[in-house]
Amino acid sequence: MTREETLERIRDLQARVQELRQASDNPAIERTMQLLDLYCHMARWELGDVQAMIPEVEAR
Amino acid sequence: MKLYKPEVEAQRFWNPYTQTMARADLDRLHLRKLQTVIAYAYARSPMYRKLLERHKVRPEQIRTMDDFLKRLPFIDKKEVLDAQAVSPPFGEALAVSEEFFHQRFATSGSTGAPLHIPLTYHSAELWGESWVYVYWAAGLRARHSFYFPFNWGIFAAFWSAYMGVRRLGATVVSGGGLDSTARLRQIEQYRPDVMLATPTYALYLGETARGIGMDLAKTSISRVIVAGEPGGSIPATRQAIEDLWGAKCYELYGIAELGPTNPGCPLQGGVHLCEDWYHALVVDESGNTVPYGEVGEHIVTSYIQDGQPLIKYRTHDLVRWTDHPCGCGTTWLYYPGGVLGRTDHMIIVKGVNVYPSAVEAMLHRVTGLSEHYELHVGRDAANDFVTVKAEARPELDERRYGELRRDAEAVFKSAIGVSIGVEVQKPGSLPRYELKAKRFFDHRPAAHRWQLGGRTGA
Repeated sequence: MTREETLERIRDLQARVQELRQASDNPAIERTMQLLDLYCHMARWELGDVQAMIPEVEAR
Repeated sequence: MKLYKPEVEAQRFWNPYTQTMARADLDRLHLRKLQTVIAYAYARSPMYRKLLERHKVRPEQIRTMDDFLKRLPFIDKKEVLDAQAVSPPFGEALAVSEEFFHQRFATSGSTGAPLHIPLTYHSAELWGESWVYVYWAAGLRARHSFYFPFNWGIFAAFWSAYMGVRRLGATVVSGGGLDSTARLRQIEQYRPDVMLATPTYALYLGETARGIGMDLAKTSISRVIVAGEPGGSIPATRQAIEDLWGAKCYELYGIAELGPTNPGCPLQGGVHLCEDWYHALVVDESGNTVPYGEVGEHIVTSYIQDGQPLIKYRTHDLVRWTDHPCGCGTTWLYYPGGVLGRTDHMIIVKGVNVYPSAVEAMLHRVTGLSEHYELHVGRDAANDFVTVKAEARPELDERRYGELRRDAEAVFKSAIGVSIGVEVQKPGSLPRYELKAKRFFDHRPAAHRWQLGGRTGA
C-alpha cells in the first residue's frame, strides 16, 4: 500500500473514531476511542502528515 | 500467531519512510513540524508567549528555516525553572491541563532547583517510541525480553526505555527494589535477552559478579543498551562492556527534560538524531550554527513535549554532527562518538580542546587501570590543567602504582598531545553509582567555562 493510500485510510479511521468518541456515554469506550484517536494522530506524524501537535487541537 | 508479519519483522528500520528520507525532504518536514510546535507553544504556554513577545516574533513569522534559526531565541533550563517557580510545580511552562498528565518526573536538582517534567500519554508513547529505533536496529523484536536493573523512581532515567519496550511489544523484567547480587541471580533465573543500564553500572555489575563467582559472559544477555552518560560510543568503554557481558553494546543518548533524543547507530560508532520527534542544531559560543563535521553545543526542539514545550533548548552537551552517511543506511543526522562532553566541562589545555570522553577512552588503553576514575580540572594563570584519579585493578601490586602512573601519563601525552596528571588510587577508593556517575570535578573560576553568547532568551 502506498503512503497516500495508508494516510487516506488512517484519516478516515480517525474521523470515525472521533465521531464515536463524541457519541459514546460509556467512560471505557470514550477513553479507548481517545487513545485510538491519539494513535491515528501518531501514525499520521510518522508518515509526515503534520496538522497539529496533539489530536485535541486538530481542526475538527 | 505473531505480533509482526514476517516481512515487517525483516525491515531494517522501525520507520523506513522517514529513516531513509532525502535530507532536503527531511528538512522541509522539520520546518512544518517546527511551525506546528511553535504555534502550539505560543497559544498554550505562557512562558513561550512571553518569550516570543519579548523577542518581538509571532509564530506566523517563522516561514523558513532561516527565520527559525535567526528569529527564535534559545531557551535555557534557568528560564524554565523561573517559569515553573511562578506557580510550582509547572507554573507558566505548562501547556495542557493536568488531566492529560500521564507521569511526572523531576531532575535531581544537583546544580540547583529540580526541574519538573510533566509527561502526557502522548509524550510517554513517543518517548518510548524514540527508544524503539535503537531496539529495532539492534535486531530486537517482540519475542525478546528486557531486564531493567533500575529502581523506578522520580528521575526519568530508564522509564522511557520501559515505555519503549511496551511500544515494541516485547517483555519487561523488572529488577526494581533489589541489590546488585539479587539482580544477577534474577538474570540467571529469567534469562532476559537485553540489559539496560548506565555504562558505569553495566561495568559495576562485573565487580559484583566476580564477588559471587558468576561469569556474565555466560548469561542469557546478548545485548547491553547503555544510556545516561557517555560510554556506548567510546570504543574502549563499549569493548569493556562487550567483553564483560559477552554481548553487543548499543547506546541511546537522551536528555531528561526532552526525552530520548538520539538512538544509537547499529554500527555502534555514534548516535543518530531521532528526526521523527526532534529537531537539533549544533552551535558555537556565539550561537551560530556550526557546519556539519564540527563540534558545538547541542540545541534541541522536541515535537512531543506537549505538556511543557521546549524549543531551541540548550542541552549544554557537546556533540559533533554530520550529514555524511555512517553506513547503516539511515539518512538521519549522525553524531560520531555520541556526546563528547558538557559545555561546562570544556577543557582547553595549552590551546588544545580536551574532551572528557577522550580521556575516558585513553584510560582503557592503560593496562592495570580500572574503569573507575574521576577527572579534576583546575586553572593556573593561563591554562586549564587536568588530573585524573583512577583506580588500579585489584590484581596489581601497590608497589607498581608509580610505574602505572608514568605509563598512563605517557599514553595521554602521546594520544592527546598535552600533559595530564594521573593519581593512581587503590581499588574501591572511589564512589560507585547505580545511575549517572559523578566523574567531573571542576575547580576553575566560572569565567573560564564555556559561555554561550548571542541569541539566548535571557
